[in-house]
Amino acid sequence: MFVVRPVELADIPALETLARLASSGVHTLPRTLDNLQRAVERSLASFAANVEIQSEELYMFVLVDLRDQSLLGSATIFATAGTNGTYFAFRNDVVQQVSRDLHISHSVHALTLCSELTAYSQLSSFFMRDNKHAGDEAALLSRARLLFAAIAPQRFGDRFFVSLAGISDEKGQSPFWDALGRKFFQMDFLEAESAVDGARNRTLIVELMPHYPVYVPLLPTQAQAALGQIHPEGELPFRLLQAEGFEADEYIDIFDGGPILQAHRDSLRTVQQAHRIFAEGGELGGPLSQDPDGSYLISNTREQGFRAIVAQGKKMDDTLLISPEDLLALDVAAGEEVICVKL
Amino acid sequence: MLVVRAIKPDDLDPLLDMAGQVGSGMTTLKPDRKLLGDRVEVACASFAESIAPEKRDYMFVMEDTSKGCMAGVCAIKGAVGLEEPFYNYRIGTLVHSSRELKVFTRMETLYLSNDLTGNSELCSLFLHPDYRSGVNGKLLSKSRFLFIAQFPHLFTEKIIAEMRGYQTPEGVSPFYEALGRHFFKMEFDTCDELTAKGKKSFIAELMPRQPIYVSYLPDEAQESVGKVHTNTAPARRLLEQEGMYYDGFIDIFDAGPVLQARVRELRAMRESALSVIDGNPSVAEIGGEDTLVSNTFMRDFRVIVTPANPDHGRIALSDADQQLLACQPGDAVRTLSLNLRKSS
Repeated sequence: MFVVRPVELADIPALETLARLASSGVHTLPRTLDNLQRAVERSLASFAANVEIQSEELYMFVLVDLRDQSLLGSATIFATAGTNGTYFAFRNDVVQQVSRDLHISHSVHALTLCSELTAYSQLSSFFMRDNKHAGDEAALLSRARLLFAAIAPQRFGDRFFVSLAGISDEKGQSPFWDALGRKFFQMDFLEAESAVDGARNRTLIVELMPHYPVYVPLLPTQAQAALGQIHPEGELPFRLLQAEGFEADEYIDIFDGGPILQAHRDSLRTVQQAHRIFAEGGELGGPLSQDPDGSYLISNTREQGFRAIVAQGKKMDDTLLISPEDLLALDVAAGEEVICVKL
Repeated sequence: MLVVRAIKPDDLDPLLDMAGQVGSGMTTLKPDRKLLGDRVEVACASFAESIAPEKRDYMFVMEDTSKGCMAGVCAIKGAVGLEEPFYNYRIGTLVHSSRELKVFTRMETLYLSNDLTGNSELCSLFLHPDYRSGVNGKLLSKSRFLFIAQFPHLFTEKIIAEMRGYQTPEGVSPFYEALGRHFFKMEFDTCDELTAKGKKSFIAELMPRQPIYVSYLPDEAQESVGKVHTNTAPARRLLEQEGMYYDGFIDIFDAGPVLQARVRELRAMRESALSVIDGNPSVAEIGGEDTLVSNTFMRDFRVIVTPANPDHGRIALSDADQQLLACQPGDAVRTLSLNLRKSS
């Protein structure tokens, strides 16, 4: 059985091992021990804080296999994307070209550097050790963050976004970067990513990136083809987020041209459909017991000591019947309130 | 015998014939009877000084008097862009720099501009292929500077010349293919045609209003910025000899350079001089280095190139030259050495 819980200091060594598996330029997991340490400490402080208006909090979650307590993945939400700066993205604009005299009307696709995502909450750093064979635990890791947002809405913005890695080859070359960012930064994609630490809210971005719209037809074909395309390793999170109600198309990443998915909180499936219910422990599926009516994504309702699992359950009026082990994993007593959504 | 002279109404037919040979990329010389007819009419009114200086369009034709045919054409416009907008790209610089990353990037940018509005313009130079030899090209191009030196008060402080931009041997403009085509969605020649007809509103409607970074363009297009058509390279050199220079303005369609100069800094303004034609020169006095010689009449302005040696305000010219210039002994002529003096 798998559980998602807030990160703890003791997870740092396991996180470091995990981060080594993540390709750079593709995953935004903190890499150095220093950065990991800082992120974990910030997360601990954020969970502990009594937040009324979101600001620079960061919530880091880990996916743990309860059989051996091994750490299988991690995922993060930033309460506001532009903490300590403006979050920069390219907005996909359509410029209408109309000449009445000549009976010409067509549109030109342009990319405009924008800061609209600054106040959004940002889902980030989703990474699993083995995302090829992942089952329901991938959905658990991705969506647990949103269950947390559902129980603690004051900690987050009204809108969420996720930036997914764009196309780059095994040598870390990105065709979009080569056509655009490289000309301004005068360095390789990976060099630049490491210079900004994967961040998009640094002053140097506005110093270096173009302020005027980039007219897409002027870009080389390979760069145009990379617009809004995801890196193969991003398929899994992309599928999960799309099913969740996130939409691509409006924004792309300024470095590799990867898609930025965004959604209003209330249009997210997890937030929309999650409801509070009383948990009861009991046997399911036995000869003398109820048959489960499906898989549920369930979490407790505590901002501190948050736990989320996927479990078979049976809904009866205002209670959800789950196994005693599931109650234990959620760290709730029978009769306590949980929040759940059908998987 | 060749003479460059002010155009006359009956030059229209041979002019039309010649315009038919020009090809694309030269906006101001299209084989269109209505367009050219109107233009010749304005030119005649210009030499007659019956219209305001900024509306004038001084057209000159080069005539082969021995065959009675037209060998070339060129013109000076009093002012551009006062009735319909005159567009260029100005090449500017934007610096993108981050102290933190120790990155300092200079980027060339193209700004759509009307900065050259109101300046006088040298334009419509075309030399018939049969006459592309010897000093003919020099005579045709440089004749205009004598006109300016003779009547400087008719021109603005600055004078410009748009040069036809680079095209591949197949006649493709890499700059247009890389930039203009995406916004205009039509053939280069169609754009050219519309511009020639004065239908320029499409430029404002369709051209991107925001600056363009040159480095976004493919290499071939970047390389053609400020580069002239192979056939135009000699014409560019001639203008540069006369004091005109490229200062970062280019054509919005083919990126051909705009050359410019302050009128008072032109070589013709500094070095040309008036001389009086000698009454009875001895044969020995006729001759010298190749010299541009013009008369001083506005209505029947004429320029020739001939070996001469103007000295202390006097010049010896053969009878034939005097005839070409419609001058006689005692008349003043303006002279300028055809080539740059080595010392200058």
